[in-house]
Order: sequence, then C-alpha cells, then structure tokens
Amino acid sequence: MSTRTTAQLEGVTFRALITLVFAFLLLPVLIVILTSFTPQNFPAIPQEGLSLKWYQELLADQRLLSALTVSLIVSTVSAILSAIIGTIAAIGFVRGEFPYKEQISTVMLLPMIISPVITGIALVRYFSTIQLPSGFPALILGHTVLSLPYVFLLVRSELLTYDRDLERASRVLGADPVTTFRHVTGPIISPAILAGAFIAFVVSFGEFTATQFLISPGTSTVPVVIYTMLRTGLTPTINALSVVLIVVMLVLALASRKLSSA
Amino acid sequence: MSVQRGGLGRVTHIIGEGLEGRIANRHLALFGLGFVGLFFVLPILLLIPESLSLGSTTPFESYRRVMNGIYVDAFVRSFLYGFVTTGVTLALAYMLSYFLAFSTERVRTAMILIIVPLWIAYIVRYFGILLFLSPAGPLADLTGFETDLLFTTPAVVIGLANVYLPFAVLPIYNSLNAIDEELVNASRVLGAGKWRTITKVIFPLSLPGLVAAGLIVFILAAGSFLGPAVLGGPKQTMIANVIAQAFLDNFNIQFASALAIVYTVLLVGLLLVFNTLFDLQEVLGNI
Repeated sequence: MSTRTTAQLEGVTFRALITLVFAFLLLPVLIVILTSFTPQNFPAIPQEGLSLKWYQELLADQRLLSALTVSLIVSTVSAILSAIIGTIAAIGFVRGEFPYKEQISTVMLLPMIISPVITGIALVRYFSTIQLPSGFPALILGHTVLSLPYVFLLVRSELLTYDRDLERASRVLGADPVTTFRHVTGPIISPAILAGAFIAFVVSFGEFTATQFLISPGTSTVPVVIYTMLRTGLTPTINALSVVLIVVMLVLALASRKLSSA
Repeated sequence: MSVQRGGLGRVTHIIGEGLEGRIANRHLALFGLGFVGLFFVLPILLLIPESLSLGSTTPFESYRRVMNGIYVDAFVRSFLYGFVTTGVTLALAYMLSYFLAFSTERVRTAMILIIVPLWIAYIVRYFGILLFLSPAGPLADLTGFETDLLFTTPAVVIGLANVYLPFAVLPIYNSLNAIDEELVNASRVLGAGKWRTITKVIFPLSLPGLVAAGLIVFILAAGSFLGPAVLGGPKQTMIANVIAQAFLDNFNIQFASALAIVYTVLLVGLLLVFNTLFDLQEVLGNI
C-alpha cells in the first residue's frame, strides 16, 4: 500500500471515529426528544406518525405542573440572588487588594467542587439547626450557593477585561461610587451579570443530587419528579417532561452565551 | 449639581455619598466570602462534630462502621469507577480535541455540539442512556438488538463517561490549540511522520491540559450519585449512593457524615499524592 492511500485510510478512519464520538455524546439527548412524540405507551421511536398525547398528559397532571412551577420559582429567585452576590464578590476580588487573593478566591468555587451529595446533607442538617424551613427557603438558599461559582467566574472574567479609566473619569467628575456603578460600571458589565443569572438559572433548574435532600413534600422540582418516575417505570410522560426541561435550559443557556460573548 | 435627579437617583446618591470612603473593594470580597462561608463552608465543617456524635457513649461508632466490608467496597468502587471513567473519557476527549484543533474548519459549530449537553440536566442525559441500554427500550424495539448492559458496571462507566466528556474536551482543546504551529511544521519538515509528530511533539505539549481534564473528570465521576443510581444495580453502589441512603432511608446523619468525611479525606489525600507527581497549581492554572 502506498503512503498516500495509508494516509487517506487513516483520515477516513479518524473521521468515522469522530462521528461515532459525536453520536455517543448527542444521541442520548436526541433519543429522549424523539421518543417523546411516540403514540405508544412506552418510549418508542415513533414509526407511524407523531403524537403530542404525552404533552397533553403533562398538562393534565397536577403533580407535574406543580413541579414545573416550583422549579421555575426556585430557579428564578436563586438566579437573581446568585447574580447579585456573585457580582459583588467578583468586583471585590478583581478590584480589592489583599494578601493571598488568588488562593482565597478558590473558596468561592468550593460549591462547584465538593460532591453535591455531601453539600446536600450538610445543608439540610445546617438549615434544620438554624431553623430555616425546608421547601422553598431551603431550596432557594441551597441553589443560590450552588450556582454562585458560575456567576462569579463569568463576571470576574468580564471585569478583568474592562477599562477602569471610565470609572476613574466618572469619580473624578464628581460621581459617588453608587452613582458610578449605576451609570458607568453597571451598564458595561450588565450583559455579563445577566449572562451569569441565566447560567445560574440553568444550573439550578437541572440540579438533582443536592436538591433531593432539600425538598419538602409539596415542593418537588422537575428533576426530582423525573428521577422518581424513572424508578417506578418508563412512561413517555417522563420524556415530555424532560423535553420541557431541555427547552428551558437550552434557551437560557444560548441567551447567556450570546450575552457574554457580546 | 445641575442635573435634575429622579427619586431613585436621589436615593442612590444619598447612599453613595454615605458610603464614600467607607466601603472598600475588599469589603465586597468579604461579603461574598461571608456568604459562602456561612451557607457552605460552615455547614460542611459542621459534619465533623456531627459524625463524631461526641455527646453519646460511643463517639467513634460511625467510623468503626465505615470499616465494614460493604462500605469499604463502595469506597473502592468509587475510586475504581472514577479511574476507569477518567481513562475512557480522556481517550474520547483527546480525539475530539485533536479534531477541533487540527482537522476541522468549523470549530465553532463542533464546539457548540460538544458544549450543548453541558446545558442539559444530568438526569435527562442518564435517562437517554437508560433508554439506549434498556432491553425493552426504543433501540431494542427498532433494531431487535438487545444489550444486557443495563444495571451493570459497563453501563455506569458509559453513563459517567458520556456525562463528563464535555468537561474533558475544554482543557485538552485549549492546550492543543496553544501549540505553536511552527513546532508541528518543524517536526514534519525535519522528516518526522504524522504519528511521530503526534507522539513526540503534540502529545507532550498537551500533557498539562490532559492532566487537568483527568483531574476534573476523576473528581466528578468518583463523587457521582445519579450515574450508579440510574444505570447501576445494587452491585454498582458508589459512595455518594451510600451516603444518600444512610441519610434518606435510615435517617442516620452521624453515619452519613462519617462517610462524607472519610471520602473527602481520601480524595484530598489522593490529590496530595497527585500534587507530588504533577504541580497542582500549575495544572489548574492551565485550564
């Protein structure tokens, strides 16, 4: 075999392998979406026409709608809180001067590193000690902590590329720090803050492992309901609910990406 | 000031004047640290006294129980599955990263395809893999080809590798992308073949990214709850599942805390050993 055909063969094999790896990565999600449109009673690939019957089922199920509402409330409120706290911390770490700044900033990332099961039991135990009710308060506070590192990283990287002379000009011209933030710094970094809030929402909306410890009987979130349903048997309602989750998460993540790269 | 201020402007101005000179940036950093400290670090640290149950007559009871066979098995399994998953994930991620860095023009599109799964909840992705491996699932239904993989160790490893693959691509791609193309050209011009260039030039230069990726995947995989819970059977129980079980099914917070602490100590110990082989600070600086 000549070198040229060997090289060609290598090229073709490599392309085929890459296609397989992409398939491995993406097919599980695609199959969840595809089988949600089945007219049958189990998640099958629809071969004779598509059906929306499992989405109608979803709309009729009080438990699932309630989970969706709980998830939306928890994720929205925790995303707002985490955007505010994450931004404040990011400003402090980028602008402040104190010893061991880099090392200390790792603490802000800890919620991302510690296994969420450990976070879950630690938080549920702590919340009961400080008598924070389970359900919404525990879920919101827990999700705020868990999504905080993402906002922190995003806003911090934005601040590092930001021109501080604009701020100095504002201060020299007589504006106080809060006015400067409202009219100069804020508008410039607000796309990054919003991007951070969206990512925090996405993190919160999909979180399961720590969440299972924080819910109360009336406040199951969508991932918890999906998990519970999976344990009792496969029905295409799980697919329909998963697709709703996918759509919400992807829309916000894409919006976040648009904002942060702008 | 000549500019007419509205209500909100006046309020922020008054607050701003009041804060002038009193609040420094390091106070803002302190606020963030305080929040994480109060609602994350402190709760985790409180697991230590919890696990010891010092008030009781048998303070180290929980730790003695951790030494039990089934729990030791769960620890061993966690680290073992962590290693195997890391190996599989790194191999796949290296191929994807090489493709992104050297053999495609459409890097943006390919990158989006790799990152999109990161934005989808783990539970949904494990559900997709469950559907794939399910003997009565859509794939078996369509093709008539049934696998016996579900609820076995390979199923768990496949699931973990699938879910953590995007995390591994980013650092490897970054280190491959940073390689000076002149070095690759020089190697080729000096007569090295494609494979020799890969093994002697590209691979050594991408090592920091590879090590960083391995570290991330290992930590995530070893601590996974959902992978073994959805795709494994009773024989695939990992440490996260044992901790959750102790807490949720048996309401034994002391024991759950002891397991969590032993696991964290073992993981940190492993990272310290790792640190003597590779400089951790340097590795993480490369992400």
